[in-house]
Parts: sequence; structure tokens; C-alpha cells
Amino acid sequence: MKELDVSHYIYREPRFDDIMCDLKALPVLPKAMVKEAQWAIAYARKFNEEVIHPQCLSLDRKMHENPDYLPWDFIKAANEWGFYTLFIPKAIGGWGINGFVSPFVNEEIAAACLSMANLIGVHYLGLITLFSTFNMRIIKEIVGDVKNGEKTGEPCLVSLAITEPGAGTDVEETDLIDKSNVACHAEKVDGGYVVNGSKIFISSGHVSTWHIVICYTDLKKPSENVIALAVKTGTKGFSFGRMEKKMGQKACPASELVFEDCFVPDKYVCLVSDELTDSRLKPVEIHQKLIDYVTSATRVGVGCLGSGVAKAAYDKALKFASETRVGGKLLLNHEWAQCMLAEMYKNWMSARLGYVEGNYANTLYTTQNDVAKKSGYFMNRIMTKWFANRVVSPMMDKPATTRKVRRQHLDGQPLSAQQCASGWASLSKFSGTDLGIKNCQMALQLMGQAGLRHDRGAEKLLRDSKLLQIYEGTNQLNRMNLFKNMIGRGFQQAMDFPE
Amino acid sequence: MLATKEKEFKMLEKAAAEFARKELSPNREENDKYPFGPFWDDIVKKAFDLDFFHVLLPETLEGMGLGMQSFCILLENICEVDASLAGIIFTNSMAQEIILATGGEPVLKSMMDTATDVYGHLFAFPAFANPSEIEPTVTAVPADDGRYELSGPMEYLVLGNIAGNALIPAKIKGKTGYVFFTCDMASDGVEKSEPVLSLGLHACPAVDVRFFRAKADLIGDAGNGKAVFDAVSTRMQCAAAAMAAGIMKGSFKEAFDYSKERFQGGRQIIKWSEVQMILAEMAVQVKIAETVVEQAGRSIDEKQKGWEDGSQAAAIHVCQMACDHTCNGIQILGGVGYMKDYGQEKRFRDAQQIQSLLGLAPMKKIGYIHRKMQRI
Ligand SMILES: Cc1cc2nc3c(=O)[nH]c(=O)nc-3n(C[C@H](O)[C@H](O)[C@H](O)COP(=O)(O)OP(=O)(O)OC[C@H]3O[C@@H](n4cnc5c(N)ncnc54)[C@H](O)[C@@H]3O)c2cc1C
Repeated sequence: MKELDVSHYIYREPRFDDIMCDLKALPVLPKAMVKEAQWAIAYARKFNEEVIHPQCLSLDRKMHENPDYLPWDFIKAANEWGFYTLFIPKAIGGWGINGFVSPFVNEEIAAACLSMANLIGVHYLGLITLFSTFNMRIIKEIVGDVKNGEKTGEPCLVSLAITEPGAGTDVEETDLIDKSNVACHAEKVDGGYVVNGSKIFISSGHVSTWHIVICYTDLKKPSENVIALAVKTGTKGFSFGRMEKKMGQKACPASELVFEDCFVPDKYVCLVSDELTDSRLKPVEIHQKLIDYVTSATRVGVGCLGSGVAKAAYDKALKFASETRVGGKLLLNHEWAQCMLAEMYKNWMSARLGYVEGNYANTLYTTQNDVAKKSGYFMNRIMTKWFANRVVSPMMDKPATTRKVRRQHLDGQPLSAQQCASGWASLSKFSGTDLGIKNCQMALQLMGQAGLRHDRGAEKLLRDSKLLQIYEGTNQLNRMNLFKNMIGRGFQQAMDFPE
Repeated sequence: MLATKEKEFKMLEKAAAEFARKELSPNREENDKYPFGPFWDDIVKKAFDLDFFHVLLPETLEGMGLGMQSFCILLENICEVDASLAGIIFTNSMAQEIILATGGEPVLKSMMDTATDVYGHLFAFPAFANPSEIEPTVTAVPADDGRYELSGPMEYLVLGNIAGNALIPAKIKGKTGYVFFTCDMASDGVEKSEPVLSLGLHACPAVDVRFFRAKADLIGDAGNGKAVFDAVSTRMQCAAAAMAAGIMKGSFKEAFDYSKERFQGGRQIIKWSEVQMILAEMAVQVKIAETVVEQAGRSIDEKQKGWEDGSQAAAIHVCQMACDHTCNGIQILGGVGYMKDYGQEKRFRDAQQIQSLLGLAPMKKIGYIHRKMQRI
């Protein structure tokens, strides 16, 4: 059989590399990752039991009563438990739990409470965006603040601000942004930039210390003029506007950030796409890469949240069915109910499989590869404080380090890798979140009146989960992104956003 | 005859739509804050004065004596803007219909005669439960004075904190099945919780109640509760479908309007064909819901053969559609759809809540097929 040459078949669509991420990633991963995953999941479960379960419903109720309440108690507890530095590599001062493991932890926490999972996860959205600019000096400073916040008990969170009142879907796509109504302008002045405009719906905005703000130096051609700035709460000209009154995920504030002649010094410019003259990429490609590096990680992250809520809804329904008699017998012993529960279990597992594959794709094709593959993994494990402080830290201040890392990641990532990771991230995002909603709806059907009550916890799952279909790009945008990256690329005649 | 009916429908539709636009729409977000904001007392009173609570009541009880079609028109138009008021009307009507179905017209009359305000006319009822599915937890024991004493807990008694009276399904000690009792909610031995915070229909409140030998009166014959509930709820399912249809109409309208105002990618979002596809699906669902509800209502009023199937199928199908539909209703608005200052998130919650009116959604399907099986 082996003599028969069939090798060329492997390059046909669907590409082996696209559909076998798991198989390709497994040999890359160290065996010790299993133990690390086990520990991290167990730690998340302990956190759920001791911190989230006792207050998740009461906090949600409090937010119903007073939507302007800020959940500092929870944030402080998460900070104390180390969740804001858990996935930061040891080399830069974090706990060093591998990024590969973070989706599993996200899922566990999401199954306990989506808002609280978001209060943790969004901090990593901010950090990942910062990391994706590869500006090592600023990364060092901000991570230093986060680490310090953990030590002092004064949490230092990071948010990402990209959405604007006039531009939501548009800012997630370089193909759309030039026709958009983006208005957050950064004007070059002596020693920095002056920012004017506003951002809306920024998760954790009011409770974050640092904000990674995406602006544009030329509003006529934003695709080629993106700039990522690090803005600290308290900076002159920067203020918080309204806090949204949301249907769910109430504990995690969604904030308006207002910039009025806000001066941001050059030292807080994380990335200016048109100034990376030594990259072979065009500014618009750098912009897209920034978006893709971020969303490849964070959309898998939202897929995990979908999976977590699918599990939570399934758990609620199963518990109800095992305790409640309907029509004279236990609901659990109605054949149709068993099939419904089996369907819910399947939905949860399907959501899981989607994000797990997305996570493998990231392991192969994005920066996650640096830390997840054996060499990166063990380097992180054996990293000593001394080495981190004496060797890594000074290196991070050097512009040459930033240049080198950028060359490796911006220029070094092939388009096919970028497409595969981005496509899988979108797939895991929209499938996981659709399945999450589905399970919440099924749980409510099965539980009837009991499911409608706040104190039973099921209705909150539905309210919370609906947001998952909207942020990190609507599920519609993510379908289009999947088409663009993994389907349409096979057809020369296929156009992106064709209308 | 037909022309008079049409005129009657039109008038009711106009009155309900105008009321919804003028009275419900401006304060929708505020009213929905209950139980953390004030109860919309004035709205309930205005609706009462406009006879919205009297549509199904016979003229002998100073009602309008109209049929299911009229009731559906009323509920649909109200739900287009705010389904909570429809929830109150539905709950009260369900209780009244059960009382009437058991020959309890004199009981109703005497209660109405003694009522001193709107709430004295209203009945609390566990509108989200089917007592044949999950056994009643309240037990009735005959008292010396010929009345009964109710004891035990009852979850989620809708209108329990505002209505003067309640209609309570309870088991009579030593007998099988259950039966309905009327109970004065102000009487001794009725302990009410704070309003229960729920997914939707916030301003249609519910409380948990615990009865301690509370005096109550038996309605109908002992043990016939199931038969009465099934008969009345089969009819009222159509009204639940109408509520869901109204929510869908409101959801579609808001999504359609928004999609013409919102620009992304340099064009109104309605110009993107994926948005058109979602809107098309929503529009088709609205059309189907309207048609199904109208047909079911007519077949009930005209006592057409198989009206039961029409009413139940309408509820099963339209309520499910409304859950999916309102999910898309939010989606078209993107982030703002998730916010309280727009109506979509409330419609999404309300639709899901309405699906559980009169019992578990899957059991309604099982009930539907059981009835067909019995006919074989
Ligand atoms: C609670 C919350 C938290 C959030 N957190 C953050 C955050 O931390 N940071 C941040 O930057 N942003 C955040 N967002 C913003 C979020 O990412 C956007 O809401 C999302 O991208 C959608 O944008 P939009 O709301 O403007 O909807 P729009 O872009 O206006 O979309 C409206 C509808 O039009 C459709 N549509 C738009 N364009 C097209 C097209 N070209 N083709 C087909 N259909 C189209 C959409 O799919 C949607 O159905 C948050 C949002 C919410 C609601």
C-alpha cells in the first residue's frame, strides 16, 4: 500500500493542516501539559466553589437593583487568587500557567458564572492585544503594574477599547474599516499623540487601570493608519462615560471611554502600523495581523465561554430532572427527557470540541506556539526569578528586542497559518456560543416555571449567554470570517464582503 | 354579522395599539425595573378602566363577552410593546375562565360586587404551572363551617401580591387528583414572599405563598381539577400564542427600523444580504404567527371541529418561534440590542417566559399527541 504514491491528495481541500490541528499539535506539546491542565482546572473548580458560587446570584441580583455597582469585592478576590497573572509567563513575572491551558480554565469559570469569567477573561483580552503589538518595553511596564497590583491587593486590570459608537463590526475587519464611521483620532504632536473620540461597550472599562486603545491617525484611511495606545486611568483628557445597562453579564461593566484632547506620550505608543518600516508587510497587513492575533486567541476564549454555559445549562436541567416528578414519575425517567438531556450533553461536547480544536490551531500557528511547544514550555517551567529579573527584564527595554520579536511574529507567520487560526477561532466562537444559547433555552423548556426564577440560576444563564453571540465580532461576522479564511480562499472568484 | 365582527376587531385593535403606544411605550424601561422600581399601578388601573380585563368576561358579569379572537387581538397589540401587562390580563382571565367553567359565575359575581378597587377584581393564579404535571403542594382540609382550610407552600403565584383573590389548585386530603379553591389573599394564614425576581414579564409580578390553614372555597366538584384545567388551558393556549406573536411583531419592527438607520461598512446594514436573510426569516415568522393565531382564535370562537388542535399547535409552534425570533431581534441590533434602553432584550426574555405559560413546553407537545392518540 505504501508504495502507491498518493501524497498529492493531501494538499487538496480540505487541507490536512486545517482539519488535523489536533493530530499535528499533540507531538509539539510536552507530556507535562496534562498535569498542568489538571492542576489549573482543579484550581478553577476550587475558586468556583469558594468564591463564585457563594456570590454569583446575589451579585447579579444586586446589579439588577443598582446597575452602577462596581464588583470590586469579586475583582479583589480574583486578584488575590492570582487570576490576573495566572497565564502571564514566568519570564515576565506571572504565575506562568501555560496559555494552552487557559481555555479550559475559562470554561470551568464560565460554567459557574459568565460575568465573573468575563471579569477575568477581558483582562487577558487587553493583555493579548498588548502582547500582539510585541512592544516589549510597554508589556514589561504594564505587566509589572498588574503583578504589583497582585502583591498590594489593589487589582490592576487591562481593558481593550476598539468599538466605537459608529463602528462595531467595521473595526474588526480591514476590508470594512475604510468605509466605516470610525472617529477616534490620534493626531501626531510633539512627543506623542492627542486623542479625541470615544469608545463604547468596553468590558471592565470602569474597573481597569490600563486601556489598550485602538485609534487611527488618519480617519480617511484607517486600515493603513492604525495605532495602539496604552492609556492609564487618570490620564488628563481621558474619562469614563456611561456604564451600559445590560440584560446579562451584569457584574462586568460595559463602559464608555471618552477622550478629549487626551495627550498620550510616545512612550505609551504600543504600535503604529505605518511606522514599521522594517517589516515586509504593508500597514494594512500589519493591521489585519494585529486583529487576527488578538481574535484568534480571544474568539477561542469566547467559544470556551459558550461551552461553559452549555455545560451549566445542562447541569441545571439534569439536576432538575433528577429531583422533579412530572406526570407522576421522575422527569429523568421520561424517555423524551432523556433524549433532550442527551442532546444537551452533545451540544456541550460539540462546543467543547470546537474550541479545543481552535486551541490546537493557535498552538500551531500563533504566538501560543512559543510557550506551548516543548522548548518554550520547559523554559517557562525552569525560569528563575533571578534570570527573569537579571536577563529577561533588561532585554525587554531594548528596542532591538521588540524589533526582533516583531520580525519573528509579524513577518514570520505565513498567511496559511494566520488563516487557519483565524478560521478556527471564528468557528469555535460562533458554534460554541450558538450551542450555549441552545442549551440555555432547552434548560428553560425543561424546567418551566422553576427555570424562570432568578434564585434557581437557570434564567441568568440565558441572559448572560446572549452576549456571547455579539461580542468579539457578531456571529454573523465570524461566519464571514470563517468563509474568508478557510472556504473562500479556495475560489479565486470569491470576494470578501462582496456587496 | 361578519362586518360587525370585523368592526369590533378593528376597534379593539385600535384601542389596544393606541394604549400601548401612548401608555406603555414611553416608560417601558422604567416599568420593567419592578421589583426594584415602583409597580405600574396607574397603568393597570387605566387598562382596567378601558375594559381590557373584561374582554372574555360574559356581559352578565359586566364583561364585554367577546371571543378568543378579540382577546388575542388585545394581547397581541399590547405585547408588541410590553408583554408584562398582557401577562397580568392573561393570568386573571385564566383564573376567571376556570371559575366560569366550573359553574362558578355566582362566586365571581359576589367577589366583584364586594371589590373596592381594581385589585379586588383580580385573581392571582399559578399561570406558569400545569397542576397535572407537577403535583400541587397545597392541601385542603374540610373545615367545620363548610369551607376548607388550605395548608402548604405554593411557588410562583402570579399576581399573588397584588390581586385581592387567588385561585389555588390543591389536593383534598384523602382524595385523588386536585381541585381549585378561591381564597381571599388578605385572609389569615396567607403568607407572601417578596416578589420573585424572574427572567421576563417583570411587571407581571409573582410571589411564593405559604398557606397556614387559610380559609378557602371549593370551586367545582372535588377531583375534577384536571378536566377543568385541561379544557380551559387548551382554549387559553391560543392567547399565549397571541402574546408570543405580539412580541415577535414588536421585535421585527424594531429590528427592521434599526437596520435602516445603522450604517456599517459604508451602508445601511439592511443592505447587507446576510442581514436581509435574518430579517426575511423574522418577517416570515411574524406572518406565520399572525395567520396561525388568527385561524386558531377563529376556530375556537366558531367552535370548529378540531379547534383544540389549532389552539395547542399555535401555542407550541408560535411560542417556540418567538424564542428564536427575539434572539435574532437582538442580533440585528448588535451590542445595543443587549441593552435596556432598547426593547429587544426585554422581548427576548418575555418570549422565553411566555413559552412556559400553562406548563412545561415539551409536555405540551406530549399532551398534543396524547389527545390525538386517544382519538384512535
Ligand atoms: C456587553 C458588551 C461588551 C463588549 N466588550 C467590548 C470590549 O471590551 N472592547 C471592545 O472594543 N468592544 C466590546 N464590545 C463591542 C462588540 O465587539 C460589538 O458590539 C460587536 O462587534 C458588534 O458591533 P455593534 O454592536 O456595533 O453592531 P453592528 O456592527 O452595528 O452590527 C449590527 C448588525 O449588523 C450586522 N452587520 C454589520 N456589518 C455587517 C456586514 N458587513 N455584513 C453583514 N452583517 C453585518 C451585524 O452582524 C449585526 O447583526 C462589547 C459589546 C457588548 C455588547
